[in-house]
Amino acid sequence: MRIKEHPILNFKEERKVIHFTFNNCPVTGYEGDTIASALHALGIKKLSESMNLKRPRGFYCAIGNCSSCRMIVDGEPNVKTCVTLLKEGMDVKVQSNKGEIYD
Amino acid sequence: MKANYVIIGAGISGCSIAYNLAKKGVKDIVVLDKSYLTSGSTGRCGAGIRQQWGTKMNCLLAKGSIEFFEKAKDTLEYEGDIEFKQEGYLIISTTFEEDEQFEKNVELQQSLGIPARKISKEEAKEIVPHLNTQIIKGATFCPTDGHLNPFRMTDAYYRAAKRLGVKFYFNEEVKDIMVHENKIEKVISSNLEIYTNHVVNAAGGYAKEIGDMAGVDIPVYAENHQILVTEPIEKIQSPMVMSFSKNIYCQQVPHGSFIMGRSDPSVAHNHCIESSWQFLDEMAKTVCEVLPLVGKLRVVRQWGGSYTMSPDRQPIIGDTEALEGFYLACGFSGHGFMFAPMTGLLLSEIMLKEPSTIDISDLHISRFKNKQVFTYEKSVV
Repeated sequence: MRIKEHPILNFKEERKVIHFTFNNCPVTGYEGDTIASALHALGIKKLSESMNLKRPRGFYCAIGNCSSCRMIVDGEPNVKTCVTLLKEGMDVKVQSNKGEIYD
Repeated sequence: MKANYVIIGAGISGCSIAYNLAKKGVKDIVVLDKSYLTSGSTGRCGAGIRQQWGTKMNCLLAKGSIEFFEKAKDTLEYEGDIEFKQEGYLIISTTFEEDEQFEKNVELQQSLGIPARKISKEEAKEIVPHLNTQIIKGATFCPTDGHLNPFRMTDAYYRAAKRLGVKFYFNEEVKDIMVHENKIEKVISSNLEIYTNHVVNAAGGYAKEIGDMAGVDIPVYAENHQILVTEPIEKIQSPMVMSFSKNIYCQQVPHGSFIMGRSDPSVAHNHCIESSWQFLDEMAKTVCEVLPLVGKLRVVRQWGGSYTMSPDRQPIIGDTEALEGFYLACGFSGHGFMFAPMTGLLLSEIMLKEPSTIDISDLHISRFKNKQVFTYEKSVV
C-alpha cells in the first residue's frame, strides 16, 4: 500500500518503475524507494531471521541502526535495506543466518 | 570487621586466588573491588588463550592454565557455557629474524610438552584461507590454544568461591593499608575497615598504587591498549591470527564477531582506558593487510583497557620481602586472564606454605634487584 494523497507532501504522478527480484521472484518498486520500502509496499514483512531462535524480523527502525532489515543483496550479506536505495536488477534475498562472506 | 585474607581486585586473578584458598579450607576470605566483577582489565581483554611464549615461565603458566580450562566447567560446577574454544593460535612471522626467533620459541615450547609446531606458508593458508601469505615468511601453530569468555570464566570462579564462603564487596575502593612494625594491621576501603594480617594485591592496573599504600615498591605501570569488534558473521576463521612484527591479534569469537587489537608503541604510562579514532584507523589498515577479507565487515564497537607492564613482561607472583603477609599477583603485561588458574593455584600454595606445583621463584619480585639477569618476553602484542 502506498500513500497517494498527503496534506503537505506532493507525490509525483509518474515515477520510474524499478525491476528487481525478491527470493528469486521478479517484483517492482519505484525510483527513490529504499529496498525495504519497496518490499514493504509489496506487503513483504519478513526481511531476516533472528540469530538464535530464527524468528521473523522485519522493517523496524528504518534509519540503519537496528539490523532488523539486514538482507542478502546481490550476494552481499548484512545489507541494511532500509537505508539502501533500490536499483534496477537487484537480487534481494531474506537472510536467515549471520551472513557468509567470501574472497 | 575481621578477615583472614583480604584480596584486592575482583578480576579473574583475584577470583581465582580466592577460589583456590577457599578450596584448600581457608575461612574468612574477603575480596574487595572498587567497581564490579571483571570491571578492570579482565573484562576488557582480547579473550585469547595461548601457550606459545618465548620464556619458560610464561609457557608453564599457560600450559597449566589450559589444562584447567579444559575441565573448568565441571571443576567449578558452572551452569553456563564458558565458551572455551580450542582451535589454535596461528602466529605468523614476517621477517627472517622473527622466523628464527620462532624456531627457538617452538623448541622451548615442545621441550615443555606444548604441542606447538613450525608450519609452512602453505599450511598456514590451509588453516586460515583468507590469510595474506604474500607478507609472511612462516608461522607457528598450536592447536590447543584458543578462546575463552572472560566474563563467564570469572563468573564461574566467583560463584564457586562464593559457595565456599568467600565474601565479595563491590564498589569498595581500597583507600589505605595500615602497617605496624612490618605487619599488616588493617585495610581501609570506601565503607569498610577490615582487620587482617594478609593482603593479596591483585589490583591489575592499580597494583602499583596498592603497593605504595603498603609501602612496597612494585616496578609495574599501566598502559592503554585498545580493541575493536566487528559485526558477527558465519564462521570463516578458526584460530587466533597473531603477528608481533605486524602488531596485530585477530580472532573470530564463537558468536561470530571478530575481535582484534594492536599496541601503540608511543603509549603513555597511565590509567587511560579510552579508545581513539587513531586506533581505529591503524587497526583497520593492519587487519586489511593481514586478513583482507575481514575488511568487508563493519566495526560495531571499540574500547580500551590497561596492560600492567612488568620490566620483563612476565608476571610477579609471590610474597614480598619488604612486608610480611603482603602477596602479589600483578604485572601480567596483558596476559593475566589466560594465566589465572595457575596464578590462583601457585599463589595459594605460597600463602599456605605448601609445596609448589611448579617452581616459580623466577616470578618473585626480588628478581628485579639484579637488573642484568632477567629474561625478557618478546612475544607480546
